[in-house]
Amino acid sequence: MNATLAIAGATFGEAVRKRILIVILLIALLIILISPAFGPFAGGRGARTLIISFGFGVIQLAGTFIAIIMCTGLIPTEIERRTIYTILSKPVQRYQFVLGKFFGAVGTLGFMYLMMGIVFLIATRLALGEFDGRIIPGLLMFFFQSSLLAAVVIFFSTFVSPLVNYFLSGGVFLLGNLLSSFLETIQRNPEVTPITRIPVQLLTIILPNFANFNVQNPIINPEQVITDPVAYTVQTIAYAIVYIVMLLVLSMLIFNQREM
Amino acid sequence: MSDLAIKTVNLTKRYSGLWSKHPVEAVKNLNLEVYRGEIFGFLGPNGAGKTTTIKILLGIIYPTEGEAYVLGQPAGDPKNHYKISYLPENPYFYDYMTGREILTFYAKLFGITEPERSKRVDELLDRVGLSRAADQPLRTYSKGMLQRIGLAQCLINDPELLILDEPTAGLDPIAHIDIRDLILELRNQGKTLFISSHQLSDVERVCDRVAILNKGMLVRLGKIEELLAGGYVEIIADKVTNNVLEPIRQLGGKASLHDGRLIVEQPDDGSVDRVIDIVRAAGGHIVSVKPYRRTLEDLFVETIQGGKSV
Repeated sequence: MNATLAIAGATFGEAVRKRILIVILLIALLIILISPAFGPFAGGRGARTLIISFGFGVIQLAGTFIAIIMCTGLIPTEIERRTIYTILSKPVQRYQFVLGKFFGAVGTLGFMYLMMGIVFLIATRLALGEFDGRIIPGLLMFFFQSSLLAAVVIFFSTFVSPLVNYFLSGGVFLLGNLLSSFLETIQRNPEVTPITRIPVQLLTIILPNFANFNVQNPIINPEQVITDPVAYTVQTIAYAIVYIVMLLVLSMLIFNQREM
Repeated sequence: MSDLAIKTVNLTKRYSGLWSKHPVEAVKNLNLEVYRGEIFGFLGPNGAGKTTTIKILLGIIYPTEGEAYVLGQPAGDPKNHYKISYLPENPYFYDYMTGREILTFYAKLFGITEPERSKRVDELLDRVGLSRAADQPLRTYSKGMLQRIGLAQCLINDPELLILDEPTAGLDPIAHIDIRDLILELRNQGKTLFISSHQLSDVERVCDRVAILNKGMLVRLGKIEELLAGGYVEIIADKVTNNVLEPIRQLGGKASLHDGRLIVEQPDDGSVDRVIDIVRAAGGHIVSVKPYRRTLEDLFVETIQGGKSV
């Protein structure tokens, strides 16, 4: 556990100093800060919806970029710079290395979400005169969405190059956001043949459903009615954790056999 | 307890590409024994298989065939890593950390807890001469300082076996001497050092035994003094006549004469005095007598160009 935490700490320390991630965070913070200025364009009650939705959109986009950019290099860079040799020649198991990298990435995401969340809460409080109850659960959901994406990226990074990983992880994230609604659409359409439907069903089962985490966004899901928001949040977070555990186990199995 | 720090038995590593029909053999049937307490030089040209062998010993890659043992245990067993340490060639460390922080990081990997951790880190910083730079970020360190911090991280666990890959490469003369002295000091403490290096003069000076690898195969192995036996003495004399050549050649020397100047390469086997007597008896005048010791560089070049395996 000591080794895992030490690796997580080093990963966090290095990631929060990466210029590209700092730039993404600063741009996101700036946009979140000025997001209330877009409210008047919607007018009336729509202003609140626009401000919340716009802020969530920026936070989700920044979280996605940060997760992909940060995690694609986490393991390959250590191999390229040979830092990994000094680590694995110590009494460190390979699974501890993968876990340490993941926890470091999640810690970084947590820190970035905390920064964006605080600025978002302050900006909306100033613009709306009160705290909006959707913000904290929404942030929590997006944080777990990004953590799940980080696990996907780390999984791919154990066997593909960073460039391929960008496309693979980006593709999985995109499909994971679209597949469930696409599946609903084709299931409602009687003309769709099984040749089309079955692959979509299979992909929907295999790929993580990233759309589940977007429910707090009132523009993306205007008609979404959640009868028990707490239960829904807990279920979705549990879904993310189960998926993350599965991806990490697979990553460790692959990384254990990998030659560097 | 085995008296061997490292043992490989028919160790072979083949790399085969996804589409390639012909695998590359990086290491072929390597049989090596490194004794505890010795400094062992592991030499070879680039691509000879040195780093591949080291990676197998550390469990970073796996052998295709054969076996490798480190301190009596199968190579790569992380429990065994409490007793070994490794310095890679041109090491990179997290450069946002300070010297103190990076050593603390490596100490944590060994589960060394406070207050022992801080004590050991301070001792090591002092030992490698970095106490004053301890709180500077590593990105401000020179190459020599980074190499010292690399050696310090190697010592954090007080290892029995140190595997060092090019420990003195690219260092200025002072740093070079410091690192070499530290290596000798470690040997005096009873540690085993397995050093891969192209700095042949360093290896010749500090190592007890060496192995030379070429194209994945072991081509030389032995004690330095045995491998370097066979030096010669160069004798130069003037005013020498033709009649000395034959008696000198009968003593085993290579002699040549031009315009009265004689140059003899005489084996360093006690016959040198007799050659000088022959020259003087013939009225010759000795200009110089200079011993030439065979160097590791000579042996290395001869071995690699000869290319036979042991």
